Amino acid sequence: MSEIRDTERLLETYLEHLPAPQGAEGDAKVLADALTAMQRAKHQAAQPGRISWSTIMTSKAGKLAAAAAVVGAVLFLAFSGSFTQSAWALEDAIEAMKDFPAVYVVGAFPGGTAEVWIRANEDRTHSTDVVVRGSHGAVTWTRDGSTYHYEPSQNTVYFEHALTIGMSQWLGPELLEMLSAAENARIVRGKDPATGRDRIMLMCSLIDVHGAQSWVIEFDAAGKLPLAMKQWQNLDRSGPPSFDAFKIVYYEDLPDDVFDVHVPGDAKHVEKPLQIPDEAVGIMSDPKDGIPVEGMTQQEAAEKTVRAVYQAVIDQDTDTLKSISPLCRNWGDEFLRKIIFKPDKDNRIVEVLEIGQISKTGRSSLGPIAAVPVVVKLKNGKKVQEQMIVQFRQFGDTTSCVVHGPYGLPREID
Amino acid sequence: MIEDRLLVWRFNRGDPAALCRIYEKYRAGLLKVAAALLNNRSGVEDVLHDVFVDFAQTTGRFQLRGSLKGYLSICIANRARDRNRAMQRRSSTSLDEAVLRPSVTDGPEHAAVSRELAAKLDTAMGLLPDEQREIIVLHLQGKLPFREIAELKEMSINTAMSRYRYGLEKIRSALDGELEP
Repeated sequence: MSEIRDTERLLETYLEHLPAPQGAEGDAKVLADALTAMQRAKHQAAQPGRISWSTIMTSKAGKLAAAAAVVGAVLFLAFSGSFTQSAWALEDAIEAMKDFPAVYVVGAFPGGTAEVWIRANEDRTHSTDVVVRGSHGAVTWTRDGSTYHYEPSQNTVYFEHALTIGMSQWLGPELLEMLSAAENARIVRGKDPATGRDRIMLMCSLIDVHGAQSWVIEFDAAGKLPLAMKQWQNLDRSGPPSFDAFKIVYYEDLPDDVFDVHVPGDAKHVEKPLQIPDEAVGIMSDPKDGIPVEGMTQQEAAEKTVRAVYQAVIDQDTDTLKSISPLCRNWGDEFLRKIIFKPDKDNRIVEVLEIGQISKTGRSSLGPIAAVPVVVKLKNGKKVQEQMIVQFRQFGDTTSCVVHGPYGLPREID
Repeated sequence: MIEDRLLVWRFNRGDPAALCRIYEKYRAGLLKVAAALLNNRSGVEDVLHDVFVDFAQTTGRFQLRGSLKGYLSICIANRARDRNRAMQRRSSTSLDEAVLRPSVTDGPEHAAVSRELAAKLDTAMGLLPDEQREIIVLHLQGKLPFREIAELKEMSINTAMSRYRYGLEKIRSALDGELEP
């Protein structure tokens, strides 16, 4: 075994005979997904208004933006599955988590890895600062109510005037209420073969404003804190996860400079278009749903629709809410009651103070969409600004609108 | 090569049959490259899946420089490296992956190299730095010439050949150490 050539021959034989999968089932899945991706790429290329962002999202580094959104979605909704089994004391886990106002997450997304820093507000009700740094130099962050994404390969900052990453509900007792209200999740207990420690896996899925999503969250049974988490952008956890958070660290505080982001002074700035996921379009396409808006301008129609959906929330009218905002049909009544109506809470909505001018428009395959800013008053007297996305629809001679859902997180205002 | 140019031309015009043909043509070789580069071979099909889905999304704007086989092999290598690194950074092994880890010595194919030797080669390959392991696999398994590997990985041909040679020497040393106590 002294000659390099001998080593080469040996390695060639070894490599040639390495076992590799032969399954036709795997082939069918790869081809099906690849052909779907090809069709989607062709479709997007045919829509000039969407090329820019779509191209970004298919680039290697650009997937960080998706990861960032994923993290946001996970952290708002990871716990919105249902855990009806009482095999494990979730209360303890929630109690353990609420002591920490800051979190650091490291994970992998298709094409790279990312680290995420998140910090809560003083009351620990929601997140205030988020930074997601990708292994390829891309970075996504929030500042002053807007979300930014820097693509180094294009020296461009893509931005939108909404907080599209972050946590609408910080770790704590409110999350427990979400857990108890949801319907379709389950708990699996196992043992980590590497450490021998007990692990609890929480599995859940749902369709929300970000589209179809499913999660597996791994808790350490003794420490009660989530240690790892995977997310898929489908309901059955098929294929590789869109974000695999393999390290989660909890902090009592973080220095401000963790959230500082610097981009080159000559970077271009491009506003991200308003878009909604395809799954949502299908759910919003029932002509029986929505508010008729015959003969109205877009602004008038949007105002009427948004006012109606908030009135349904204030009146705690489940049927009307589901009709105006069909995505809510995916969630159980108890979940809607606890998460949206919040009848026993000081932060429930009691009044619509102002509906602003349409701030941004876009288009889904169903028709035009628009983001509408709304200021609402809570029972505790605080004022909150939200943005709602309205979908305009035309079925025959009938024009109507439905609400897709919130565009980003709500913001407290003075 | 001419067939590949034609396939890419058709692929860029959105022909699904061209994508299927590319997959059928290179699937087996790419799976072996992935199997040789992944520390955990349960991810072989996932890596192939991701690479083809990403490739499919480039329809209409894919530009072929060098060979299609070389391009796809490099994509597999990059994806396998990312996956290995992600797995290494995990604080603990997840339940499903640990259960699914297969042995390299499973199956009758390894009769060509003894099971014991195959296991030692497995270990030796796993200990190589990514950049050396990739070039060895791309050259010996993927049958890519050094010049093409160097172009696709944006390095000089001398660097590619040096890394290959260093890698082989390390494997030889590892085997000598094991086999000649």
